[in-house]
Amino acid sequence: MLREKAWIPYAFLAPALLGLLLFRFAPILIALGGSLFSQSIRGDTLFVGLKNYHELFEDPAFWAVIRTTLVFNLIINPFQILCALGLALLARRPTRFVEIFRASFLLPMTVSIALTSIIWSIMLDPTLGPVNGFLRWIGAPAQPFFRSADQALGTLIMVATWKGAGYWMVFLLAGLLAIPEQLNESAAIDGATAWQRFRYVTLPLMKRPLAFVLVADTAANFLLFAPVYIVTNGGPAGATHLLMFEAYQSAFAYLNHGRSLAISSIILAIVIAIALMELRLFRQPEEAER
Amino acid sequence: MNRPRPLPTLLRYATMSLIAAILLTPIYWLIISSFRPADEIFRFAGTFSLETLVPRRLTLDNYAQIFASSFPRSLFNSLFVAAATVALGVFVNSMAGFAFAVFDFPLKTPLFIAVLLSFMMPFETIVIPLYTLMRTLNWTDTYAALILPEVAGGLIIFLFRQFFAGIPKEIYEAARIDGASWWQIYLRMTLPLSGPTIATASLMMFIHQWDAFFWPLVATSSADLAVVQVAIARNMTLEQANWGALFASASTAVLVAAVPFFLLQRYYVRTVVSGGDK
Repeated sequence: MLREKAWIPYAFLAPALLGLLLFRFAPILIALGGSLFSQSIRGDTLFVGLKNYHELFEDPAFWAVIRTTLVFNLIINPFQILCALGLALLARRPTRFVEIFRASFLLPMTVSIALTSIIWSIMLDPTLGPVNGFLRWIGAPAQPFFRSADQALGTLIMVATWKGAGYWMVFLLAGLLAIPEQLNESAAIDGATAWQRFRYVTLPLMKRPLAFVLVADTAANFLLFAPVYIVTNGGPAGATHLLMFEAYQSAFAYLNHGRSLAISSIILAIVIAIALMELRLFRQPEEAER
Repeated sequence: MNRPRPLPTLLRYATMSLIAAILLTPIYWLIISSFRPADEIFRFAGTFSLETLVPRRLTLDNYAQIFASSFPRSLFNSLFVAAATVALGVFVNSMAGFAFAVFDFPLKTPLFIAVLLSFMMPFETIVIPLYTLMRTLNWTDTYAALILPEVAGGLIIFLFRQFFAGIPKEIYEAARIDGASWWQIYLRMTLPLSGPTIATASLMMFIHQWDAFFWPLVATSSADLAVVQVAIARNMTLEQANWGALFASASTAVLVAAVPFFLLQRYYVRTVVSGGDK
């Protein structure tokens, strides 16, 4: 590394660090600080200490949101990773046309989350949508999807997976392609079945990419907002009322800024905990080399 | 492994085809329906037949309609915001990547960890407190509010650092002896060597901004500043009767993001994968 006048590296760093400081790190302090204040009816701001948090934890509606968010995450994260792993395993061997299949698995990730929500709310519309047209055609009963409290969360999971599976596949496919082909071949020569090869050769070598995808996917899904805002508005009967939507509603529907910043702080704590886990995953290989 | 077994191979291709069909049909149906006369969009949807997938008549009416509405304004907003973010972002982030790759300085490790943390913390996390900040600064409902928060990005800094770290230090030393300043070295030597990284970073920033929904929704409220994603979502909730316009604008928005992605797919996948691995 080169050593130069002390200020030169900082001059190169200044614009980016200023941007990160102002637009990434300052908002963290604003969330933590602002969550300790409350606005009175007359519009002046009062220091209220932990009152906003206290009210949140006393509020059954907030616990219902937490419960929905947890159920959503406990199902969607393993499900998305299984789908992504399945896609990666299918597209692993570079046989004929595989490039085309890989590209078509990736296409949904290029559709923005807002458009994904719009497309699927049309596709799954109980009366107009072609999905129910197709179900009737194969003789199955039409389904309410987003319009029923029982199906809405599951439908949300399917729609988010439609967009997400291909994206996470990229990381798992990279992990699979990094496994030397000879390992699998020699296991096959030794008489290992396909399942045994997957379980005892592939899976142990995939620990790191799988752990990375699990952590990053969880962080992304904790923050899901657009489909709830565009399609379900949290309903029916709160079935899709996720934490990020509650933070948005608190600020812009209930106009309760302190509550909204308190929820933001809770989200921040969760996501920072996830990011720190991710940072450990990034550092592990260096430590292993030493 | 070397002997091709016909049954598993057939099964594998059948599974891949089925999955590809499920993944692609919604996008295909959206785009093909945007060329149908507005009154035929749902005519063949409720009962499934060949005409659900193959339109009977094709028309550009829906596109003519959106280009006569406020959609071009949203299109301009999105393109302007994304282009400005890319232009500023390439310089700001590559300068930071250059500093991390080339120099040794106190605070280097803590600052780099801060950069890594900032990209592991998705932007959505801080949308609401960022709105509080913007409101205090009186920046809500401006282009600056849409552009500036997305310029500096930890992931883009990281990508540039990874690439710059691979350039041999000797060429910098030689240039220093020849009397070049560090600014000249960065601008005239390092940047011109980094074409593929600049292309990938630009694509990532462009698509990120083009697809952004939550922050533009919160940061702007006037219709004049609505970006494409927000404008389409508002049309969806306000005037659902105008399906032709909705399909045409949604198809346009999908294609603007998908086409450059597929042109640069190889670079993108390679950079993301090697970036995530290192």
